[in-house]
Amino acid sequence: MVVAKLAETQVAIHAVRDPADVDAVVSDSRATISAMEKLDAGLAIDADSRQWVEQLRTKHPKHDRAVARLHEMLLRVAYHELSRRRGQLQSVSGPEFDDLAHQAADDALVNVLARLDEFRGLSRFTTWAYKFAMFEVSSKVGRHAWRRQPPGAAELSWDRLPDSMAPRPGDRLEQRERLAALSGAIGELTERQREVFVAIALNDVSIDVLAIQLGSNRNAIYKNLFDARRNLRVKMAAAGHPVLDMDAA
Amino acid sequence: MTDHVHLDELLRAKNEDAGCNAGEDILDAYVELELAGEDPARVYPGTAIHLQSCPGCRADHDGLLEAARRFGDVLPE
Repeated sequence: MVVAKLAETQVAIHAVRDPADVDAVVSDSRATISAMEKLDAGLAIDADSRQWVEQLRTKHPKHDRAVARLHEMLLRVAYHELSRRRGQLQSVSGPEFDDLAHQAADDALVNVLARLDEFRGLSRFTTWAYKFAMFEVSSKVGRHAWRRQPPGAAELSWDRLPDSMAPRPGDRLEQRERLAALSGAIGELTERQREVFVAIALNDVSIDVLAIQLGSNRNAIYKNLFDARRNLRVKMAAAGHPVLDMDAA
Repeated sequence: MTDHVHLDELLRAKNEDAGCNAGEDILDAYVELELAGEDPARVYPGTAIHLQSCPGCRADHDGLLEAARRFGDVLPE
């Protein structure tokens, strides 16, 4: 198990493009491996979680009942999460809303059962299972929102800073110059970085909706956004307007 | 949106950011630490940073935290 994680980490390290990113991958993987070692040493899964895993095994006499119970819980989670994200679903209600919840719960159940052997007890079983429901809801809400209202050209193309950020008459000269530098720096990004930054950071387009629009995935779009933000910081600094790291302040 | 704080948020890009995939693997463990009153950033610092910057993963995290809190203590029978 630990060896597999090490191999996975190696792949992740090769996938990153910046040496600094390696530290982050290694750090979080190290934490996961440390937890796995504890599990391998026998400090493993809590009793409730073990009961779930055992009864969900195909040959267990209570298998069918356990699967039905898990599906019932995944459905409750899906309904709850869809309600929480109702803002992205606009006027969806009734049978269409029910259908989304059932699809998310059904797909999450398939995933959980297929990956049962991967449950390592780093959390309660229910938290681990609900994670798959969450990912299914995310994906389905994104696709639904994109079908209903795909981002328009105005949300993706760069013209100028949105009105909410544009310099106002009362702004100090320093602020006006800083925003002018930001505006210029955005214009110098690569096309993809600019498109992603403008859509997500300036126009609040959902990252999952944008991923569908651009035929990509959340991770790749996030990488574009990260690179755009980092380049903007470098360009702002070069123009004499460094962006302060407020966390470090 | 014209002061340093907002600009720092708008351009947040920390090298320690673990990215979306790393967070997906351990999101359940991360949430469980929070529910236990521990600081998940001590165990998963890269994911803690990522969740500040990625709206998609943050939404998944917030949803999972709430679901685990509300529906976590159930048994198969």
